[in-house]
Amino acid sequence: MNHKGDFLSLLRHADILIDDTEVDSEMSEVNLTTERDLFGATPKPIRDALRLTSKGKTINGTTLEIPEATTVVAMRYQNGIIIAGDRRATAGTAVVHDRAEKVLPIDSHSVLAISGAPATAYEIARVLKHSFQYFRRSQLQELSVEGKLRTLSRLIRDNLPLAMQGIGAVIPIFALYSPQTDESENGGKIYFYDALGAHFENVDFATTGSGSIWIRGVLRYLDRWGDTRLEDMDQRMATITILRLLDTASEYDAATSGYNAKAEIFPTVKTITHQGIDTLSGDFLKDCYVEAT
Amino acid sequence: MRDLPYRWIEAIQDRRDYIEDQLRLGSPVVGLPYEKGSLLLTVTKGAQKIFEVHDRIALSAIGHPADIERLRMLVTDTASVQAFQSATEDVNLHRLTHYVLAHTFKQAFEAIVGEAYIIKMLLVEIGNGDAKTQFTHINYDGNVNVHHESAVIGGTSEIENAMQNYLTNEQSDTETDLATTIQLALKTWAVGRVLSQRFEEAEDDTDVTEEQIDEIIKSELDEGEIEVGILDDSLSADTKFRILSQDEIQDLTNK
Repeated sequence: MNHKGDFLSLLRHADILIDDTEVDSEMSEVNLTTERDLFGATPKPIRDALRLTSKGKTINGTTLEIPEATTVVAMRYQNGIIIAGDRRATAGTAVVHDRAEKVLPIDSHSVLAISGAPATAYEIARVLKHSFQYFRRSQLQELSVEGKLRTLSRLIRDNLPLAMQGIGAVIPIFALYSPQTDESENGGKIYFYDALGAHFENVDFATTGSGSIWIRGVLRYLDRWGDTRLEDMDQRMATITILRLLDTASEYDAATSGYNAKAEIFPTVKTITHQGIDTLSGDFLKDCYVEAT
Repeated sequence: MRDLPYRWIEAIQDRRDYIEDQLRLGSPVVGLPYEKGSLLLTVTKGAQKIFEVHDRIALSAIGHPADIERLRMLVTDTASVQAFQSATEDVNLHRLTHYVLAHTFKQAFEAIVGEAYIIKMLLVEIGNGDAKTQFTHINYDGNVNVHHESAVIGGTSEIENAMQNYLTNEQSDTETDLATTIQLALKTWAVGRVLSQRFEEAEDDTDVTEEQIDEIIKSELDEGEIEVGILDDSLSADTKFRILSQDEIQDLTNK
């Protein structure tokens, strides 16, 4: 059977992925008409999932403690994109992990930064990575930027039943660098998704997760009135700025971690440039922290 | 027909003759290791002939383009599903050849009422950890031969033997750089191409001189172009496969 490069079609054909229509009706049962928010735009279950309540979610009489919460941030700088995430995973008020990776390389020039339930987010990242690879290997060409964006949209939309239950919402940032761009220009692009799968291009920066509300305004201020615009920053200045932003988020959001000097646990910081993805080393980040604080 | 063993054997022999006749003029493929991984080289007149199967596995083939495409997709799909279902480390060439490709080839070849695959396939997997680099040659009848030093596919077994003999004489004991390895692979390909043309003219001499090699490379490159796929273990990405650009190939062959 020819799947025309569609990895999800291949998985369905191999009976690995069940069809949307086969999703357990009890799990996907959602009343969209009740308890809407002030503007009536966001169904309450999604809003609750994003609000990240401090107690476990009760489903069918069982209380689940689901690790969640985050701050991830991406911004365009001189050479491309710099993208970072804190390392904390929480379930309610408990810190369940302090070395979580939330900035995940998908292919040679694209990265997914995740916020929300890690189990769902990691699976979305895994399917996305395999989808891009399968398209390239089977169709003998890279998937286009628009094709990549739509694949991620589809995965987020397919996750809607879990998101509506309040146990699996994922709100990612997808950042990529178009290698076809002339080296004299910045080919970096940042996309933000909502829980229903719509994507929007954020020209200069994007942030998501529970700590993002504390730094979105700062990003806007820096980009508009800072001494150096975000896009004009070199790698060191961009790194220092992004570390300060995460530090600010961790100051006000209990679900976001800062820099743990004793254990030397740094946020994950990656750059995406014409040359590909680079993970900034602990030594470099340590050096930047000295200047940042 | 299976009730009459003689007729079945005769039908199989007819099928073998037909397939070998179809494969005889195929452009050979050479697989060699180099200091950072392995490469596959051939000369084509347009259509791509070297493909990525998975992170550390590549393939090339000679035969009917529709059969190559069908079997390429079979092995690519199988590897992709396996990698997703368990892990990319669980995808290996041994499983793909012995549990997917070999019996598919054999079944099609021996089912004399159906269509056989007109194909010879060469796959390469670069070693990971203690595992050795492996070149696997699969014949249209499902026969599998595994090599660790080098491998070739050509139109007939005589062509393949002559190419392999040339490699045995010329190949260095130590791993060479990419440029040197490409130049050796191209000359080995040329040996196969000279013999392919010579056998077509019913000559059976298998000696090929350096002048004949240079001459055939020059004449074939007027219409075709060299295609090289490498599995470069020094790449930091999970995927080690890369098709070299024509500019890169030109630089490397002129060194």
